[in-house]
Amino acid sequence: MKKTCIFQDTEKTQNTTDLLEVSERMYGRGQFESHAVLLADSFDPLMGSFHHIIRVAKGLVDCYDPRGICDILENLHKKNRFDSILIPGTSLGEMIAPRLAKRLRTGLVAGVTDIKKEGGHIEIIRPAFSGKILEGVLHTGNGPVMMSIRPNAFEYTPGDPLQTVVSAYTEPVSSPSAVTRLHVKENQQTCDIRDSEVLIAGGGGVKESFPELYRLADALKGRVAASRKLVDQGIAPRSIQVGQSGKTVSPRLYMALGIHGSMQHMAGLRHIESLISVNTAANAPICSLSDIVVHGDAGKFIDRLMKKIAVYRS
Amino acid sequence: MKIICVVKIVPDVDSIVCDVENNILTGNAARMMLNPDDACALAFALGVKASDPDCFVEVVSMGPMSARPRMEDLLRLAVDRGTLISDPVFEGSDTLVTSAVLGRYIATRPFDCLLTGSHSLDGGTAHVPVQLAETLGLDQMLGIIRIDPHRFDSTRAVFEVEDDKTVTTYEMAMPGVLSVTRQSGYKLPYVTLSDMRRDVSDELAIITNQDLCFSETDVGPAGSRTKVVNRYPQTYEKKDRHIVGNDEAGISCVFNFLKQKGFL
Repeated sequence: MKKTCIFQDTEKTQNTTDLLEVSERMYGRGQFESHAVLLADSFDPLMGSFHHIIRVAKGLVDCYDPRGICDILENLHKKNRFDSILIPGTSLGEMIAPRLAKRLRTGLVAGVTDIKKEGGHIEIIRPAFSGKILEGVLHTGNGPVMMSIRPNAFEYTPGDPLQTVVSAYTEPVSSPSAVTRLHVKENQQTCDIRDSEVLIAGGGGVKESFPELYRLADALKGRVAASRKLVDQGIAPRSIQVGQSGKTVSPRLYMALGIHGSMQHMAGLRHIESLISVNTAANAPICSLSDIVVHGDAGKFIDRLMKKIAVYRS
Repeated sequence: MKIICVVKIVPDVDSIVCDVENNILTGNAARMMLNPDDACALAFALGVKASDPDCFVEVVSMGPMSARPRMEDLLRLAVDRGTLISDPVFEGSDTLVTSAVLGRYIATRPFDCLLTGSHSLDGGTAHVPVQLAETLGLDQMLGIIRIDPHRFDSTRAVFEVEDDKTVTTYEMAMPGVLSVTRQSGYKLPYVTLSDMRRDVSDELAIITNQDLCFSETDVGPAGSRTKVVNRYPQTYEKKDRHIVGNDEAGISCVFNFLKQKGFL
């Protein structure tokens, strides 16, 4: 029986179970023993999905201390000899996974979006070169298979509930960070675009009228997202960037305004039900994925559609 | 204060074409550039040096000799020392090996702080800064959007990291590794005309495996724990798109679609 260790998605604990899909694709359903390692107090959403839940005792390590968390995962690996260790590709996960791989002297594949199994080999798929291509990577060497998983890339369908055994991890951390958190202030962007069913996304074609997107997003009860171009130009914050170097989103409606649709942008679109693009170039790559293509200027489109919605609502 | 900036010279990914049939990337003609996040890290270091002439800035990169012209460009800024670690035996190294090679060289150099970018443009990962920190036994932080220049010295650094919901201020004891993002907005200064004409070919230090003494089985593909075996094109499901104009009829079409799907 294979053993897989999954570290908590500290941004959304309930998403931790989605990483079980990665283990299933590697080993098959029912062919592995799952261990979840949690820092958070609440583990209810994971009960019944994992064979083991290991809760790190409160106060043992700061939630922003990757060195301390690596100590814990390294110790757990020494005891359990995991076949695979899966880390969510969150901000914290990106600092844990490479450090842990270094300690365990094992290879790490980052930003994994798919798993292929052929002839007994597990090929780990990840986007490369800003999402232009997908690379199939083999893990070599004797260490555990380590991956960081791109958020929203996998979706797990639960099977029969398991009898979860909950245990506490209490061993002191030997190499905590010399980092102190001084101050936390709320970001202006307080929501995660991955949670929104409607995304009004802007690209280089709306750099002059980007604030207008918020009016349309409000009217459709959605959120504003952006392409890398607007983020690189400082017009939009990185937290709302869609694409290979941003987030993977799966809204019901994605409205792409002035977005060309580079491979790196489209790498962030997954399971989108409806896509409307507005573009001065009707043959832009994103248009071929669209249900409706509006050929024209996105700023004028917003004005006209807003007027139509205003008339309808009055 | 002594700062080492660890940078990567990367291909401009927009000019790379994937030949899937032959499983190769045709990027030889691609423009090489300083990784954008790394440029921000170097820009901050040069800003510190501008206000403190005693500050010593070294730029270190590992890569093929084709990276040399871009490294020489950096020497034309106010960089005090440039080092390119380059040897055919290092080619094909994964991040685990790369961080070991960089770490062995940097351990021989005096420094108070390592500055790096967060993500690399080509690989898209942030492995090397983290694994370099682990190699050197240092703390490290990714995603830095601002370093407080007034609280940045050889003993500590105070900086901000942004995520979806918060902007958090941290203090890290130095030496440590600070990894900056493009969101920081730090910009490299322009090269003066006289510097642009300056011959710096003798100023770039080239470090090879003769200096670092790795066993050939520990570096390159032989020492790496991951191996790229296939490349696939990105494919997307195409739809029967309906093209409309940006006029009354087109707006009505979009409006009706939104209404029919329940978005209005």
